[in-house]
Amino acid sequence: MAGKQVGGLRSKITHRVVLLFALIGLIVVIGIFEPVFFKPSVLFDVTALMGEIGLMALAQTYIITTGGIDLSVGYNLQLCAIVFGMTLFQTHLIFLAVVLALVVGLLGGLLNGLIISRTRIPPLVTTLATMYLFRGISMIVAGTHTYSGFPENFKKVSNVTLFGFFPIQFIYLLVIFVVLNVLFNRGSLGRVLKGIGFNENAVIFSGTNSKRYLLWIYALSGLISGLAAIIYLGRLSSATTSMGDGLNLQVVTAVVLGGTSVFGGVGSVSGTFIATMIIGVLRKGFTLLNLSGNFFNFTLGVILIASLIVLAVVDKRKARRGVPPLAAKSSAET
Amino acid sequence: MQTRRVLTKELMLGVIVALFIIFLSLTTRFFSISGLFSLMLDVSPTIVGTIAMTLIIFTGNIDISAGTIMGFVAYASADLARAGVPMIVFVPAGLLVGVVLAGLNGYITVQFKVPSIVVTLAMNMVHIGFFATFLPNSGWIEGVPTSFTWFGNGRLFGLVPYVFLVTVAVTALFMFIMKYSRFGKGLYAVGGSQQAAALAGISPDRTVFRVFLFEGLLLGVAALLKAMATTNDVLPSTFQGREMILIAGAVVGGVGIFGGTGKIIGAVYGAILVYLLSVTMIYLGFQDYYQFALQGIIILLAVYLTVVDLKKVRRRLRHIFAHTGAKGR
Amino acid sequence: MDHMMNQHDPEIVLSIVGAEKTFPGVRALFNMNLDLFRGEVHAVCGENGAGKSTLMKIITGVYQADHGDILLNGNKLKLNNPNDAYAQGLAIIFQETSLFPELTVLENLFMGHELRKPLVPGIKYPVILDYPAMRTKAEEIFTRLGLEIDLSARVADLGVATKQEVEIAKALTFDSQILILDEPTAALSNKEVQTLFETIERLKAHGVSMLYISHRLDEVFEIADRVTVMRDGEHIKTEQVKNVTKSQLIAWMVGRTLDNLYPKSEVELGEIIFEARGITQEGVLNGIDLNLRRGEILGISGLAGAGRTELALALCGLAQSDSGEIVMNGNRVKIGSYRKAIENGLVYISEDRAKYGLVVPMAIRENITFPLLRKLTNRLGIIDAAAESKIAEGYVHSLSIRAPNEETVVSNLSGGNQQKVSVAKALAPAPQILILDEPTRGVDVGAKSEIHRIMGDLVTEGHSIIMISSDLPEIIAMSDRVVVMKNGAKVGELLRNELSQERILEMAL
Repeated sequence: MAGKQVGGLRSKITHRVVLLFALIGLIVVIGIFEPVFFKPSVLFDVTALMGEIGLMALAQTYIITTGGIDLSVGYNLQLCAIVFGMTLFQTHLIFLAVVLALVVGLLGGLLNGLIISRTRIPPLVTTLATMYLFRGISMIVAGTHTYSGFPENFKKVSNVTLFGFFPIQFIYLLVIFVVLNVLFNRGSLGRVLKGIGFNENAVIFSGTNSKRYLLWIYALSGLISGLAAIIYLGRLSSATTSMGDGLNLQVVTAVVLGGTSVFGGVGSVSGTFIATMIIGVLRKGFTLLNLSGNFFNFTLGVILIASLIVLAVVDKRKARRGVPPLAAKSSAET
Repeated sequence: MQTRRVLTKELMLGVIVALFIIFLSLTTRFFSISGLFSLMLDVSPTIVGTIAMTLIIFTGNIDISAGTIMGFVAYASADLARAGVPMIVFVPAGLLVGVVLAGLNGYITVQFKVPSIVVTLAMNMVHIGFFATFLPNSGWIEGVPTSFTWFGNGRLFGLVPYVFLVTVAVTALFMFIMKYSRFGKGLYAVGGSQQAAALAGISPDRTVFRVFLFEGLLLGVAALLKAMATTNDVLPSTFQGREMILIAGAVVGGVGIFGGTGKIIGAVYGAILVYLLSVTMIYLGFQDYYQFALQGIIILLAVYLTVVDLKKVRRRLRHIFAHTGAKGR
Repeated sequence: MDHMMNQHDPEIVLSIVGAEKTFPGVRALFNMNLDLFRGEVHAVCGENGAGKSTLMKIITGVYQADHGDILLNGNKLKLNNPNDAYAQGLAIIFQETSLFPELTVLENLFMGHELRKPLVPGIKYPVILDYPAMRTKAEEIFTRLGLEIDLSARVADLGVATKQEVEIAKALTFDSQILILDEPTAALSNKEVQTLFETIERLKAHGVSMLYISHRLDEVFEIADRVTVMRDGEHIKTEQVKNVTKSQLIAWMVGRTLDNLYPKSEVELGEIIFEARGITQEGVLNGIDLNLRRGEILGISGLAGAGRTELALALCGLAQSDSGEIVMNGNRVKIGSYRKAIENGLVYISEDRAKYGLVVPMAIRENITFPLLRKLTNRLGIIDAAAESKIAEGYVHSLSIRAPNEETVVSNLSGGNQQKVSVAKALAPAPQILILDEPTRGVDVGAKSEIHRIMGDLVTEGHSIIMISSDLPEIIAMSDRVVVMKNGAKVGELLRNELSQERILEMAL
């Protein structure tokens, strides 16, 4: 951005610096309790662990920036995974399974996008409902089956490491991060999404079809859920009807913790990226310290609420200093 | 402009009766007065819970943690009962747990101006994590004493379940509150327009906080009605996900998701309808996970019907009728 | 129409003494005095921006005056919000209603101040709503108004006129002795206006005093006892209606000075580049014909609600019209969306900058280039940052937008500079024609003349402008030609040498 300061950018950078310090601090603290954490292969395992969450959180950043939300991502992933497993076991065609998983994910996202852009049903309600819809369909499709034991050459999508410690998922994550971050910060896409989040009317009055953007970012979120399902399966090697449980909370937490405002307009893809790593370190640390997954979820919920509160308080402070509050937007345009 | 709603009371009652007939034709188990009362016993907690959710939705908010709050109430009361505490203590204590947890949701929503759906979604996870982490056996309580179960299994004159009587009382009380109290009118006002409500001297913040307290109380009642109907154990995790049934019942009952519209009695009909649909499906041989998909679709459909511009739909219908020669009015 | 008042000394119920109110950069009200008698209808007239609505907002506690007093029955009033005013028996009927559409008439009438009674007679608490009492009181009020309204009807199902009657009845539930009616007839049909007037007459007979704000002078003569004219925030004249004529009133209203306006540069008009024929939108626009020449500024004048903004939206694809066609540079074009309008060289700048114009929390640069994003973006979807900054920098410079640089956030700018950003945003796609909707409303005098200078420069460069304005001196100073609208139709067209405030007002009223 040629060294020029965009208004509000400074505060966003501060937010990311704080996150970065939190990340490093967390690694150090956990490392002190469990020195094995400092081993590159263990530390970088975090990035493998967070591959699918990270991908979905990046797409979710786009959505929350427009003032929307996609709660259905977790069970969309589950549905894609079940479809993948079923196809693979019935046809033994990996390629077909991959394509079908991606198509199902995309269709799920398109369904959300169509409802949200064509009707007045708010994104929260829409995706809350489709979340249950996808969950139900995945259970109906799977019945009592659990698909596990995928072929070795498929597992390579997630089990390969570079230099012995650098998981391949991190490469996927980095590639998508770079693309989405560049499009967000330097592309017209990011500009329009922020505009929609702040004031959709002004975007429409610039000759931009905002509804089409909304349709496609929900579709993107769905497609990425499909992609995440494939990567997830490569790591776990079994598709179950509970694998989507609680994923949406991790995804939303990563985005909110990363500094994206639930009121729209303000977003940070790189903030989401760092926040994803924080959540990953926490998860890995919890495993190393023998703390349960449920305790992890508990902690995550607390973190989400805390970051919502902190962002709200910071916003209020800014308002007191004369910066217009972001929350002043009326929530539902009834 | 007179009849704008698709989800009229008449239509809903018709669907309920139709579902009921289908249901009764599937099984003879409930084909007796006592059997019918057993159904009423079963649907009671759903009705009370739906009323709780409806109050929240009236103000334009929502509570995704309703199910887990109910779990907490059931756990707290059952645990106290098992420890030998009398009913006069464990019931109010359980209700208090509900009020405090829902009040926390309300406080965060109002104080920090955070959308209630995000707050309660996170709270839902906090609750689930808390149960599994901090409570012995994930809060599963075996061997609850009769001091806990007698009420849930008791029947007046051996026929009418106490639980159902409580439900009727609660329904009547809240219909009364909505009609005869300033608080009730305030809920509609705040849900309709925060600005206009403030102009009329009604504080939106205070109203929303208070409605969360009421919701917590009612969720507590619903949880106890469900938990006390047990014979042996209480498993709080069975309450997880119940919020969807409550939301479905409310929106099917014509409670507008944007707030400011709907009736308690509509929500009661909605709850019964959603309940009948689910038991019918079970007796038709569908696994219970069909419910998830169905609830999603029901919510989308019901919300769509409340937000769609019915004038347009009617105009289109009239158009079609006009072309087929029939008279559309 | 001569009523019980007048013969003896009228009783003053409300008086405004030396009220003053200044907003940053604008003096909205200056040394304002007004007396309201018991049982009179007192019209307040003035052009847009004369200070009428500021005065009303001070009387009802929405704003607080910087100086001066409000006396109610001789006692000083201190109002902090509209509720205080209600409690004192002062009620305003707003242009847009404050009713809850989903609730019944009865619920609306008493919302927030429901009548209550003890649940058990004789015991103080708990209290419940006293429906019989509310119903009786509501029926009494409606009888007094001579109206029959179903108390259990949902407000959303009522017509505009009935909603307004409910609104008036609601004010009366507070036992208000003073009503303020702000443009009450704006959305009413002729027949509905007559019903409203009957209501007003009845209220008058019951001793209720009313301040009646209206643009429609005919109505003033029909319903008001006295009239006060305001101009530039000051009291000009108060007179018995029977002693004045319409042209006298107009003369008092338009006595505004023109000296702070930038003189329009003389531009040779070119060929007709834009023509709209028979633009119709059911119930809103009624077969409107327009044409525009190269280098011309076409003013569109008319009262609020005459359909000016609706016309602009229909012309540039932001609203669908039912019939009509548009010809640009000799070719018929179909403008189905705003994008199409921009592609055809037509842009629109909304009056409501914050709502429809700008994304105020974003930088000047980002706002200006919104319509250009497609052109500035390469195949990979990346914006050419250097070119973008250059464009924005260029406009900041050429329109002299007062900001440190083009990265300044729009919300930190003054109203006038925000408006310049709007203009820059509209100019960015290099349009042939600009439609400006109230380009100088809410900006201070300096910025106003600068915007007029910019408009002059634009037409000199060969652009054409359609300017919607309620500011008559502005219309007269800037326009080559003026189209006057009324009730969704074009009622007249005046050339530059025919323009006068009186002629425009006579057509528009």
